Amino acid sequence: MKDLPETPLRPDGGSSALGTPPRDMMNEETLRPELLAENAGLETLVTLLTHPALARVYIYICYWGPVSPPEITESLDLSKSTAYTYVDRLVDLGLVERDESVRPQQLTAEPVLLVEPHAPIIITPTILHAFALQAVDEEIEYFVDRHGIGTLVAAVRGAGLHYAGTMTQRMVASEIDVRDTEAMMVIYALEPALIVGRDHDPYFEQLFPDVSDEMELPTFDARETTPARPEED
Amino acid sequence: MARKTPLSGNTDVLVDANIFIAVGEPSNPRFVQFRRAVQQAGVVLQLPQRVIGEIGGRETDRVQTALTEGWAEIIDAPDPTDGDAIAASDIARRTIATVTGTPEHTVEKADTILAGLAVQYATDRSTAGVIVLTDDKPARAGIQNAVTAQGFAGTIEVYGLADIMEVTRLKPRPSGRGYSRQLLF
Repeated sequence: MKDLPETPLRPDGGSSALGTPPRDMMNEETLRPELLAENAGLETLVTLLTHPALARVYIYICYWGPVSPPEITESLDLSKSTAYTYVDRLVDLGLVERDESVRPQQLTAEPVLLVEPHAPIIITPTILHAFALQAVDEEIEYFVDRHGIGTLVAAVRGAGLHYAGTMTQRMVASEIDVRDTEAMMVIYALEPALIVGRDHDPYFEQLFPDVSDEMELPTFDARETTPARPEED
Repeated sequence: MARKTPLSGNTDVLVDANIFIAVGEPSNPRFVQFRRAVQQAGVVLQLPQRVIGEIGGRETDRVQTALTEGWAEIIDAPDPTDGDAIAASDIARRTIATVTGTPEHTVEKADTILAGLAVQYATDRSTAGVIVLTDDKPARAGIQNAVTAQGFAGTIEVYGLADIMEVTRLKPRPSGRGYSRQLLF
């Protein structure tokens, strides 16, 4: 790797280049082709991040599992064949475990966590849920179209800080560099991801180490008992 | 959770942009509910150009609908010049900076100007009172603190959307069978 510039070392041995990962993070052992091939995590994440509807099924299983395919069909308003296609795909990717010893079959999924502090990148179930909402929420879909996934991740974090009272909506807008009203819109639209994430995402605190207990959000139970007001759809 | 609406025909109601964002598009049940609450109270919402001017693009429709239907109007209020009003904006800025733990210069002017406008309204106009409607909690705390500090606690009230109607982000399913966990997805 001749073209990699040498990073100047500080007297204390650290690197003075901002954001440059330590050189010892990866070594011959971790870079062994055999080991890299075993780790399907990258492909899995790329697949989830490019297919909101698939991510939606994954998050549903992750949060509410064990669940059966008919329950997914019913809860996510999917056709039976679509639900089975997604489930098969998730099983193939190794994201979902299928227990066929019972009828109907039961599905479970392990939560994913990717933290890359040097990038910085953080992917937790809450982030994937936010991303999955694109499949059903046109405001989030519009936001991602316009600003990309990275800004959506930033918006999730900003929304959490807003609900914790440590940022105004307009401060979030200026930090993530979107119009004020776009920030307001996405903050409201992300509320469901924060409500469920707080209770079901085991890595919620990694995303909000500072404010995970301070968010003022309606609790899920309170929502569940709210009577529906069906409007013509 | 039926609420007695704080809105009434003899108050001036100043509205922040986030209220129109929170209620959604005119076809959204929340918008319909909001319009009903405003119309039943016989109020014409006052939308300061300064804050509502942020609304553009795909969100223009909702404000335009309110204007066309006559339950909102844009006010081209100048920046407050009155001493009390300027002081109110300053207190709001300081309060927001304190509660959010951020430097004062990062507080957006649009968040503080409502405090000044409310004080100016309360001073200049003969209406029974002024209501400020904003859905941003730190901003609300700032405005509340400012009007209290300036001695307007009795005439200016600060509310969020949840104070005038029941709010939910959740969309009823087509089957209308009520909210449950699937609606969070």
